[in-house]
Amino acid sequence: MIRSLYLAYGVIVLGLFATAEYRGWSLASVNEVKNVPRSVRDNPGSYRSVYSSYHHYTGGK
Amino acid sequence: MSAPTPPATPQVKALNCPGCGAALTLRSFTQAVTIVCDHCHSILDAQDPRLTILQKFHVATDEDPPLIPLGTRGKIRGTLYEVVGFQRRTIRVDGIPYSWHEYVLFNPYKGFRYLTEYNGHWNDTSILRSLPTVNDGASPPTVTYLGETYKHFQTAKAGTSFVLGEFPWQVRVGESADVSDYISPPRVLSCERTGKEITWSMGEYVSGSDIWKSFSLQGDPPERVGVYENQPSPLSAETTTIWTIFGLFVAILVVMLAAFSTFARNEQVLEGDYTFDTNTRGEASFVTEPFELKGHTSDLELATHTSLNNNWIYLNFALISQNTGQAYDFGREVSYYHGHDQDGSWTEGSIDDTVAVPSVPPGIYYLRIEPESDFGRGKIYYGITARRDVFQASFFGLALLALLVPAGLITWRSMSFEHLRWAESDYAPADSGGDE
Repeated sequence: MIRSLYLAYGVIVLGLFATAEYRGWSLASVNEVKNVPRSVRDNPGSYRSVYSSYHHYTGGK
Repeated sequence: MSAPTPPATPQVKALNCPGCGAALTLRSFTQAVTIVCDHCHSILDAQDPRLTILQKFHVATDEDPPLIPLGTRGKIRGTLYEVVGFQRRTIRVDGIPYSWHEYVLFNPYKGFRYLTEYNGHWNDTSILRSLPTVNDGASPPTVTYLGETYKHFQTAKAGTSFVLGEFPWQVRVGESADVSDYISPPRVLSCERTGKEITWSMGEYVSGSDIWKSFSLQGDPPERVGVYENQPSPLSAETTTIWTIFGLFVAILVVMLAAFSTFARNEQVLEGDYTFDTNTRGEASFVTEPFELKGHTSDLELATHTSLNNNWIYLNFALISQNTGQAYDFGREVSYYHGHDQDGSWTEGSIDDTVAVPSVPPGIYYLRIEPESDFGRGKIYYGITARRDVFQASFFGLALLALLVPAGLITWRSMSFEHLRWAESDYAPADSGGDE
């Protein structure tokens, strides 16, 4: 019983691994934005990144 | 020629206890050596026609009756047996008494066999016809029987504290024997030494529900408590198989890793060097030249290399499709600090950064880049390289971990079971009480 469950689980893990590699999954956090106007190409400042208000860390010990 | 003489009709001889006159039932015919009167608790010599009283013993009023009443019949390994005797035996470990019950079973053609019960754990036991080979040199000592090795589990002095019914030996309440158990789950070999007499028996673990079914008993068998010495581990057999499957999965995973890393397109689609002057104000964002992402939907890996020196830069990225207007918006902070203090030199962060944008369909794209940093920190030089369809090794690590964790948990459960088993033995680990 347990070996069958583990076998099925392992097949799923391998399947997910193959899908992740083939489809190019990533652990990075990316926000998808639709319908960005073509004018951004000529006027990059017209685009507002959702991350532009991010409070940046100014590190150092 | 005279007709053959018909066989004589069997005559039942009435037996009465010489102690109290109560009627006795002899179930194992001439095979019984002693019989116990359940009225006055006299142990009688069943081989003696006068039923000489060998011993009388006192019975506590709270004495538990046998779970399988005397006279009950049931099939063990396809043979019908009748319960003819019952005894309770007790050992003392660190002054604490532990009692188990033994049921004497009888079949006129097969003879005697026994059922033992302790805390809901049952064993089907029979006397060995040949002697096992003892190896006292091993630690723990072992015995070998029919090619199977049994490990010594426990040796204790077992006393008989209650008897009922018939026995194929001279049973006495209060008599004791040195009992050594050797285990190879689900079997146990028991060596009983009384004076110069040594008896070896083999028990095999059976479930209480099987006993109840065999003897058509009412209700449910008593719940199992703890782990018994020869109780088969539900996981020990599985553990080896699980690790074999794990090895197989890892082999497949490695082959897949080799295949994906070999056949990944890993195509460089963009390379550019840029400068961010933090001394100037105004719009810092810009866009790259368009580039084509080919092949199937896959990742796009952006690698950033900077000239940071005790400084930081935040890069707002937008990977924008020229065809659909879809954008993948993300930001990356790159910072690198270093110095020297009373603990020595230190560094924090890195001048490099890598990120993979997931599942980007093929098409023509460009990057919008908007750098940020503290004002007045001079120029920051950075280069960006974009690669299409790059193998991500992190998923290999995650898959390996995902396969390893359940295998490890199953092994841990199996080891816990064995730990509980041996905690009750003469070889209990120091951290176990062993007095459950």
